[in-house]
Amino acid sequence: MTKATAVRASGLSQHQFKWLLVVPLVAFFVLFFVIPVGLLFATSFNPAKVGQVALVSDLTFDNYIRFFSRSNYLIAAGRSILLASIVSVITLIVAYPMAFVIAKTENPARNTFLLILVLASMQLDMVIRLYGMMVILGDNGLINQILQSMGLTDGPVALMYNFRGVVFGLVQFALPFMILTLVGVIMGIPPSLEEAARSLGASRRRAFMRVTLPASMPGILSGSLLVFALSISSYIVPALMGGFRVGVLPIHIYQQVAESARFQFGATIAVILFLISATAVAVYLKLGKRSSGGLA
Amino acid sequence: MVYVEFSTISKHFGTSVAVADLDLQIEQGEFFSLLGPSGCGKSTTLRMLAGFVKPTTGQIRVNGRNVTALPPEARDIGIVFQNYAIFPHMTVFDNIAFGLVERKLPRVEIKQKVDSALAEVGMTGFEDRYERELSGGQKQRVALARVLVIEPEILLLDEPLSALDKKMREEMKYWIKNIQKSVGITTIYVTHDQSEALTMSDRIAVMDQGRVLQIGTPVEIYEQPASRFIAEFIGESNLLDGTALDVHGAVCSIDIDGTTVTGRLTQNNAAIKGQAVTLLVRPEMIRLHSLDASEKPKLNGTVREIIYQGSVVRYRIQIGHQHVMVEVANRPDLARLDLDDDVEVYWNADSGVAMP
Repeated sequence: MTKATAVRASGLSQHQFKWLLVVPLVAFFVLFFVIPVGLLFATSFNPAKVGQVALVSDLTFDNYIRFFSRSNYLIAAGRSILLASIVSVITLIVAYPMAFVIAKTENPARNTFLLILVLASMQLDMVIRLYGMMVILGDNGLINQILQSMGLTDGPVALMYNFRGVVFGLVQFALPFMILTLVGVIMGIPPSLEEAARSLGASRRRAFMRVTLPASMPGILSGSLLVFALSISSYIVPALMGGFRVGVLPIHIYQQVAESARFQFGATIAVILFLISATAVAVYLKLGKRSSGGLA
Repeated sequence: MVYVEFSTISKHFGTSVAVADLDLQIEQGEFFSLLGPSGCGKSTTLRMLAGFVKPTTGQIRVNGRNVTALPPEARDIGIVFQNYAIFPHMTVFDNIAFGLVERKLPRVEIKQKVDSALAEVGMTGFEDRYERELSGGQKQRVALARVLVIEPEILLLDEPLSALDKKMREEMKYWIKNIQKSVGITTIYVTHDQSEALTMSDRIAVMDQGRVLQIGTPVEIYEQPASRFIAEFIGESNLLDGTALDVHGAVCSIDIDGTTVTGRLTQNNAAIKGQAVTLLVRPEMIRLHSLDASEKPKLNGTVREIIYQGSVVRYRIQIGHQHVMVEVANRPDLARLDLDDDVEVYWNADSGVAMP
């Protein structure tokens, strides 16, 4: 029986059938994302009460007032934005050349091999990867041993349990996402664009700067946005690589909820984190429209 | 004057041979087409001239200069791609200005040149559009303007019409040819479409499997194809099997099912007396109505199929155990035939081409 007759037999039009296909996703999404997150956001308008989890009818802006009147929370928000921005830029710079090489590798076997190499780092849980990085970045780690044996530094350089360590961890975490996004976009750029630029008189370098790089801007923007969102919302990396000493918003959320048991205030920070991410999306969309001639 | 010269050019990709021992000479100002089925090496030939592909052996000279080892940007060649390759992040103006900016021309001069290029291709007023806001035909015009504005030595066109619909294709065919004529630029046109090649070219090189099979004017290629492959690739052909009876210079008498007809021998293939030959006759060269009772050659046949196409009527005629397609202009003075009518089939003696 063909698809068309199957649809007809079930008494549904093609259009209705198509919508039926998204029902499982929508149900899952509503049940396990919209409802819990909506409830969490709602509790941010309840008065902060230690140990109180359930939603109450008493509504207040106290939690928000508290957030915006305490400098340590504002600094944490700023630190989160700075961290996610730095990670996005570094990840982009590290990922672009690799993505370019993969996209321009025509031999299918070699191309697949390179992609597997990129994906390999995602095969292990983040926690395990971070413990691996600690071996390298610790005070007695490989890098410090090399630096000292070469006489470049006297004592160990602090490479982790600080902002720098969190950046290392997040870049490592975000690289495959950035590379995969960029590979897709760079592969979609017709080679004739670069060839046209070359025969119009542009050197290889000029053709890259004037044509290939701008044409990959949609990928650069969406990759950076993805990395920004992943970095700003990451809890495990700042926790392990920063040793709770780098106070970004997810660390504060965890402390409010798990340590102080003040769900309402934790929810408030979560709402603010969400709004920062949403703003970033809006800014990127606007940027994307301008930079690509309305391409995106 | 020879302007572009390929000398024993070949290109190997791994073990496969894309182009083998190619020798081509293209005159200045000529519209020269490379025509052949996909994979025949025509695009590789074009890409070697543009500098995107390095030949494995041989030499390419343009205007007396050996360009074989030069990178594309040093070659002064304009190329229009099948997909037009309009830069998507730039306006039409910036696209056309691209080559001028690379040549570091002053702003005022760039503006002037782009404006006149836009006028030349009839796209004035489209300066601020982006690629996605253009139709196929408009992209084509922009791509051509972008190339012509740098006044290159050679214009390369890589199947520029294949992405357009049929009506637009017809229109652009004449438009491109007219622009080429008025600019007077040496043009190399790659296509698999024989009608494009016939309409636009001064000369055509027919290619297959990395080799040039025949070079000639459209009339030569169509009317004196050097081989059966070319005859079948270009235009529609009736191929009749027969036996060569006698050869007198370039004329050969051929026995087809007991009737003797004559055919011209192309220089490239001297049929030998007594051997099997193929006689090529184009459908529109055959007449089913005699102009003159004494006209020869003449074969007897029967109408087996009638295809009405408006301006022409096509008949499939059975002659012995063979069939020919005949195309007859739909004119009131030519009587319509019915199925199973017995007819006499004529053609001028030099309309038949005999090939081994």
